[in-house]
Amino acid sequence: MARSLSRRQLFTLDFDVRTPTSTHWVRVHRTAMACRFEVTLSSGHARQVPAARRALDEADRIEATLTVFRDTSELTRVNRNAARAAVPVDQELFELLRSCRALSEATGGAFDITSTPLSRCWGFLRREGRLPAAGEIDAARSMVGAELVMLDEATQSVSFGREGVELNLGSIGKGYALGRMAQVLSDDGVTDALISAGGSSVFALGDCAGDGWTIDVKSRQVASGPLARLKLRGLRGPAKAGHHVRGVALATSGAGEQFVEIDGVRYGHVIDPRTGWPARGVLSVSVIADDPAVADALSTAFLVGGAALAEAYCARHPETLILLTPDDGSARPCMIGSHRGVEIETYAPDA
Amino acid sequence: MHLTPEQEALGRRNFLKALAGTPALAALGAAAAIKGPVRGGPVRVGFVGVGSQGRVLLTNTDPAYADVKAICDINPTSLQKADEIIAKRNAPAARHYTEWKEMLEKEDLEAVIMAPPLWMHADIASGCLEAGKHVLCEKMMAWDVPSCERMKAAAEKSGRVLEIGYQRNYNPMYRAAYDGVVKPGLLGDVYHVRLAWHRNANWRRKADKPTPDYDPSRWGYPTFDHLINWRLYWRYSKGLFAELASHQVNVVNWFFDAVPSSVSATGGLYRFKDGGREVYDHVYATFEYPGGRTATFSSIESNAFDDYYEAFFGTRGTLILRHERDALLFDEGDAENLRATSIELSPKTGGPALDASESRPANAPSTAVSRNISGSADRPSATRFEVAGFCEAIRVGKPLACGPERAMHSARACIHANDAVAKKGPVTS
Repeated sequence: MARSLSRRQLFTLDFDVRTPTSTHWVRVHRTAMACRFEVTLSSGHARQVPAARRALDEADRIEATLTVFRDTSELTRVNRNAARAAVPVDQELFELLRSCRALSEATGGAFDITSTPLSRCWGFLRREGRLPAAGEIDAARSMVGAELVMLDEATQSVSFGREGVELNLGSIGKGYALGRMAQVLSDDGVTDALISAGGSSVFALGDCAGDGWTIDVKSRQVASGPLARLKLRGLRGPAKAGHHVRGVALATSGAGEQFVEIDGVRYGHVIDPRTGWPARGVLSVSVIADDPAVADALSTAFLVGGAALAEAYCARHPETLILLTPDDGSARPCMIGSHRGVEIETYAPDA
Repeated sequence: MHLTPEQEALGRRNFLKALAGTPALAALGAAAAIKGPVRGGPVRVGFVGVGSQGRVLLTNTDPAYADVKAICDINPTSLQKADEIIAKRNAPAARHYTEWKEMLEKEDLEAVIMAPPLWMHADIASGCLEAGKHVLCEKMMAWDVPSCERMKAAAEKSGRVLEIGYQRNYNPMYRAAYDGVVKPGLLGDVYHVRLAWHRNANWRRKADKPTPDYDPSRWGYPTFDHLINWRLYWRYSKGLFAELASHQVNVVNWFFDAVPSSVSATGGLYRFKDGGREVYDHVYATFEYPGGRTATFSSIESNAFDDYYEAFFGTRGTLILRHERDALLFDEGDAENLRATSIELSPKTGGPALDASESRPANAPSTAVSRNISGSADRPSATRFEVAGFCEAIRVGKPLACGPERAMHSARACIHANDAVAKKGPVTS
């Protein structure tokens, strides 16, 4: 039956009383860390655009602190001075470096924020991959390793074990930023949003009004279609200690487009810090975990450590799901572990 | 339009994205949102005027919302084309009428959706309302201000719904821009809006007579050209201000929550002087709003470079709404830090919200271009919401997005713009 309304009600233009439409994605984005940082909202939540902008401001702030590409960043200050003297840092950077050390230990050194000298000797810093001369790899390796970074809890300071050590947070910074952005969004009352950086780091808050956040995992090396289609549902229920914001994180690493070919073997641009040689054998790794910084770090670690490392990690760390696609032309990911915040909608499609 | 190099780069990126973006909001996006039928079932409607715009409305009439019982047009070719649209969706054929009054007498209609030439709006809409029908009337509301007032009074007296077809009011992008950008004050204080609708064509429609001896003179059109090109003759039309500016002025009124207090304008028939055309082919207007706010509008038919957009220039940011599809936001004064934020709206198509992969460069879009979405361009999608919104207003009392009051304000401003050209001086509302 038609409900009768007064003409005044009918003719009053009041957008507040209308049901929000959720027919569109509202993508609020900005360039940070040389990629696109984005907050995706349903159009019914368009009022949250200002909160999304505040979250992007947070990404800018983190970039300014953590980048090695600006002389003014806190990390640059550490890299410049920590071989000569302990450098006091703020609590945020100190805690992040502590997390990096733990991740390094948990992955047997496959995740390592000191691998820059190796990338340099393989030419990947200048985007010109080359086979290093004899001795170069060993020389670089001597400057690489988590044990060369000393963290002093009492003075909250960082020092390096030798000259030449360099920290680079490129393999965890985006994920870390997403975690902080999520906190900003959460403080602003945003509970249903998808935040992402460069497509490689994703953090799903909420479950897209019950639908789940649909994500296609793709590889540039596979043209036939996505490797998998996932539905992410930011976990509800009580927050875990250390996780202020409930969400589910997805991070993806791949061999990339930069390669060097040696004796007919193709090597990607990600170096295995344990051997000093470029990782090979894995086309793409996606890690689903609670914390976007952890997911980010692990995706790099498993790209170099392969399925064996992924299995070993999952045996000790529940709530981690890994989709690992070998570089064997199959375009079929294998699945390791589990996470309750993800459903695999399509998986290992026929290539 | 002056942009810093950074803003240009950003705007260019967004522009490329718009070109590469999904061409169709239409079918899938709208289908996800419109989940009829509404309570009480589809509204029984008749169409009056199924020319080009009438058929856009018909195409965007969701059978879950409206059951098209009859169609009326004085041009048999238009009826035939409308039949094809109805047949394509496997709906029962609609009965044909030439006279709208006869259609009202013979059909058991609840509502009329109408898109005849502008000069007929007031007679038909008022007649339908007086007969107890709800009316969705294509914009502009009416040919002159007294006609608008007559329609509004008829709606009030009958207690029936009268909506005027400004599809931007139903376009989710505009609503998101209003809710997410304008209303929260992201633009700061907006003193200037630039409205442009530039084309490089003569606006003349070509059509064959339905029969060699077809004569529309008894309906007030001395020749067939007067009927199909009614937009070019003052008797039927208010020219570019009515057909184009009124859409954009309606948005400014909405976003400003105000109406122009005065309008100045110039214009003339400069390029297409042959063929009997009367209305101007170039018009320029300045709409003054309270609080020192000014909207300028230009419509030219000699260059399409600027295309069409509404640009809101605020003390804190710039919002550009282009092609009814593309929303761009630029921070004011932040360009040197490259902190400019963009807001894009893209239809949910049932595909992924995001493509995850190894890291992509900054100018890569969030999802791959979807090439398998068929359907026509964006515009009908907003029209689809418009027709659905009209039906919901009838069935469940959902508030109208435009309504006669607002439509009358924008119509008055655009009618006054024509008056200002003729008078060579400002016209005050």
